[in-house]
Amino acid sequence: MAMNPAQRRYIGRMIPVSIAYVAAIFLASSLVPNGSPATPLTVAVALVPGLAVVGFIWAMGSYLFELKDEYVRLLEVRKALIATALTLGVCATWGILEIYTNVPRLAIFWVFPIWCVGLAIGGLVNRLTLGAGGGCP
Amino acid sequence: MRNRLKVLRAERDWSQADLAERLTVSRQSINAIETGKYDPSLPLAFRIARVFALPIEQIFDDAE
Repeated sequence: MAMNPAQRRYIGRMIPVSIAYVAAIFLASSLVPNGSPATPLTVAVALVPGLAVVGFIWAMGSYLFELKDEYVRLLEVRKALIATALTLGVCATWGILEIYTNVPRLAIFWVFPIWCVGLAIGGLVNRLTLGAGGGCP
Repeated sequence: MRNRLKVLRAERDWSQADLAERLTVSRQSINAIETGKYDPSLPLAFRIARVFALPIEQIFDDAE
């Protein structure tokens, strides 16, 4: 299926942001050992991958705003809502488990990956209920 | 909401892709509307009516 202009722009944004994210992770991993004290330098280096994650979120948000096809936008919004519900449910439930039991701590880092897994599940729900998954991952 | 999109399209010998191109929407949007999985917004319903040169109520039927 041919990509619409919003999808092309989305891909065009995601590729450089993904490259920046991988490069930033390698940079931070090589310069800042795990558990280093939080100094201005280590914080600055460790913030770079975080900025790339903000870039992912910006690309996804821009895609939603730029989509002209209302049905495809509905599919994407449904995916985002399902992802948000799943993330809130998993994180809140695990947080309560952490309060009352000695289950391993879930690092906040995992919130965004969980949300992305939720997007994939949202696409599956769309496919099962509407017969179409949605445009972009 | 029921609609006569498939019949109107067939009368004109248009494929879903043809109609999608005329409306500048995706083919999956046309399929979702035809199969009743999605009700179009009012602006899109007006565009559909203009493409078929028919009043909206001759295309869409909101009777139960």
